[in-house]
Amino acid sequence: MHKDAESTNITRIETFINIVTGWHFFLSFAGLILLFFIIFKQLFSNLPSWLMFIGTISIIFLVGTSFFAGIQLRKRTRVGRTISLVINYLGFIFSFIALLQVLGVFLGVDALAKTFGSGIGWLAGVLAGYLIHAAGDQFHFRIQIEELFRKIGKYIALVFFTIFLFRVGLIKALIYLGKQIIIPTNLMIAFLVILFGIAIWLMWREETGIYLHRNNAQTEALEGYLFLSPNLLGFLIFFAFPLVFSFYISLTDWDAFGNSNFIGLANYLTIFRLNLKPLASATQNFIQVMDGSIYSELLRFNLFGKYFVLGAADARFWISLRNTLVFCIVTVPLSAIPALLLSNILNSKIPGMKIFRAIYFLPSIAAVVGISLIWQWLYNATIGYINYFITLGLQFINSIFATSYPIALIRWLSESRTALLAIIIVSAWQTMGFNTVLFMAGLQNIPKELYEAATVDGAGRWAKFWKITLPLLAPTTFFVITTTTIQALQVFEQVFIMTNPPGSPGTSTLTIVLYLYQNGFQRFQQGYGAAIAWVLFIVIFAVTLLQFRSQRRTGAYDV
Amino acid sequence: MNSFRLSKILVNTITYIILTAFALVMLFPFLYMFATSLKTPNDTFTYPPRFFPREQSTIELDGYDEPLPLYFVLANGEKKEYALVQSGIPAGVYADPNDLETAFAVPLAFVKPAIGGGEVTLPDGTVQELMDVPVEGKIMQLVQVNRTALGRFVDPEDTTKEIYQVVRTSEPATRITAHPENYIHVLKMENMERSLTNTILVTIFVVVGQMVTSVMGGYAFARLRFPGRDKLFLFYLGTIMIPFVMLIIPLYQLMVLFGWTDKLASLIFPWIFTAYGTFLMRQFFITVPKDIEEAALMDGASRFEILYRIFLPAAAPALATLATFTFLYAWNSFFWPLVIINTGNYENHVLTLTLNMLRGRASDSANLILAGAAISILPPFILFILGQRFFIESAMSSGVKG
Repeated sequence: MHKDAESTNITRIETFINIVTGWHFFLSFAGLILLFFIIFKQLFSNLPSWLMFIGTISIIFLVGTSFFAGIQLRKRTRVGRTISLVINYLGFIFSFIALLQVLGVFLGVDALAKTFGSGIGWLAGVLAGYLIHAAGDQFHFRIQIEELFRKIGKYIALVFFTIFLFRVGLIKALIYLGKQIIIPTNLMIAFLVILFGIAIWLMWREETGIYLHRNNAQTEALEGYLFLSPNLLGFLIFFAFPLVFSFYISLTDWDAFGNSNFIGLANYLTIFRLNLKPLASATQNFIQVMDGSIYSELLRFNLFGKYFVLGAADARFWISLRNTLVFCIVTVPLSAIPALLLSNILNSKIPGMKIFRAIYFLPSIAAVVGISLIWQWLYNATIGYINYFITLGLQFINSIFATSYPIALIRWLSESRTALLAIIIVSAWQTMGFNTVLFMAGLQNIPKELYEAATVDGAGRWAKFWKITLPLLAPTTFFVITTTTIQALQVFEQVFIMTNPPGSPGTSTLTIVLYLYQNGFQRFQQGYGAAIAWVLFIVIFAVTLLQFRSQRRTGAYDV
Repeated sequence: MNSFRLSKILVNTITYIILTAFALVMLFPFLYMFATSLKTPNDTFTYPPRFFPREQSTIELDGYDEPLPLYFVLANGEKKEYALVQSGIPAGVYADPNDLETAFAVPLAFVKPAIGGGEVTLPDGTVQELMDVPVEGKIMQLVQVNRTALGRFVDPEDTTKEIYQVVRTSEPATRITAHPENYIHVLKMENMERSLTNTILVTIFVVVGQMVTSVMGGYAFARLRFPGRDKLFLFYLGTIMIPFVMLIIPLYQLMVLFGWTDKLASLIFPWIFTAYGTFLMRQFFITVPKDIEEAALMDGASRFEILYRIFLPAAAPALATLATFTFLYAWNSFFWPLVIINTGNYENHVLTLTLNMLRGRASDSANLILAGAAISILPPFILFILGQRFFIESAMSSGVKG
């Protein structure tokens, strides 16, 4: 047929593949040179060691894979194309992100925020355009009208969005970018982006694919990773890596300014260092039995008539752990049991159910900060409603039963006996509605026939609740308790806002996360803070595991 | 039959009483917030607390430039609203020398020395002159035991009717008012306006960004076969339960490396790639029937076209659920902004941070603080009223087994 055309086509494909092959050998070689400079010429030696480590590893990886890709491409294999595409794609993405970073695009968000207020009104026009566009659906019986609506909506949205862009400084931003990109180093990165882009294009082309024996599985796999890549890369950078990194930090004495020494498990040893000593008398001075420069007193107790004192190297950690556990043990039932009760009532198809459900849900969508501010005033000792209601209640009781309970104004947030309780009440109040909705979802999964059968057998309300609802609701209950517990173990914002200074009075509301915050961001002992985070994680993991096992034992029915 | 009906009514009544009681407990703090945010500063300090914002009633009377405050007075044994026309009138407290307990406060101007009165020695040894004191229309011979200041109150309907009494102990006549200007006032304070636009901007970016990455990732997990997919998915699932606190220190270090501390970028980009969103979209996409997609593939449609034209329109409810979830997260977040945006850098504060600052700066103005709280709480509430279904579903979807 078109023999000539086909052969020129093939020569072209061959040339393209050869170009990419050369590119891979070049990349490999460039990587090697870079490695040489890093290792022997102390290039980048001012960067932190962990970053050097990661950088070196990735360059070695690049050298190896790129070399392999080059060899495979020379052999014209399918694998060569896959690896080449992956390398070039990653190279493209990372150099593109680097370009955005050096051009200042990410920091441009701040500039946008400055002018955003003046353009925000025009976004309403975009919304209106969208609504007109969507309103077209109402006329699906008249295709012309539908189309008209959609077109008008689209143009309105576009016009308003353009105005918005100009209002927030599109032109200024473009001028700025133009100035930035002609800086030589930035230009080089831009050039790198283009090179990677060209390599991708050469390999991705239909013809190249067919020439290198692509098959459906390969295409689908590449497409799969392509679709997943934004999420996966971001997830690795902002989640998986920090998670591993956090463990490394916990093994150092990192301060927030980048100075760090590897100190092994020393942070963990400090956290867990305890010492138990007998006391001669209940009031003996602590320093007489223990080294006061290492330990401070945690608690004294009486066992079989003998007095003991427990000292800890970091007493505040143990106090915060105790506070957090107390908080957790009280908050979880306080928010879960009423939720269980309410969900059962709401499930009985009574009129107005949706309104009640909506009302109960409200606290869980409001910002914890806002809620804490409200409750701070409700708890106010002299003018707050909580004390007022208590006073009213006591007056009522006193007048009815002729008792004389003293009416004292409780200083909720500034008395160590009540501060933690006050925070527990707020947290339970806030999570209760959310748990109610979760329980309702669980209740809807229980087959109605079971209740009908039980009614036929003459079972009463309570019998049905205990014998059917509770066992069948076990998976939901498990979920509710686990999530509420995990949340409760991380309590921070309520304490931070409501007590002043946070954790006061004394250490009565010091929680683990608050202690972590104080260490990591106020005293800037980030290594120690990271170690506390890992201890908290172990506590959370243990609690979850414990609940998981107890759920197994009670034999939750799977519905 | 009748007793059955009766017991049913009884059960229903009890049910509604319980439900309403809980509803009141849930609503009261918010109602308190709105009511207080409309109050005047003085009004927030009353005890017993008054729920509705109230202020002193006033009245305009001829001959007076300014509106006069109204108080309750006892006129001829009746409680009536009188206007205060003059205060701080020097007055004496007078009592019968033989009965010092019942005393009357009368302006000094109305009192004259009693004709032929003379002096009386009181039990505490002081010597006082007997005076003619007009009390309730009669002249009595009394001695001065103390000094005070009185206010002159007049009947607004008949300004000749006057009554003198102590202003401080008089009960002011009040009416319900509202001061919505508190909201404008608080927006002008502490950079609130800027932090509101910052919050909106950050929220838009996070919601849109997370939807894009979640939709693409979810589609890949649900519909495309690639090596390592199932293991990767398990890894994603396993990380959902890992608390954010674990990441706060390393993420801070990462931001330091990127130069993003104090920058809004640090509030946006780390939060648009989540395992949870991907999981949610994957769970939805897996339920979409396969045949339409296969037909489209046959016709030569690309994967992007399929995702955009077939999956996205079908996924509207799931997207809305994800959007509400992300919106709440971005709008309400406090811990991360607190760590990453320096207290000194007001420009890039978000609402929750500004509220935290406001708590310190305006610590005695409950009306302003709660107006600020309302500004942060209202937008989620409005969205909740518009799309309640999606909020409830996003709550329920977090409870799906798996």
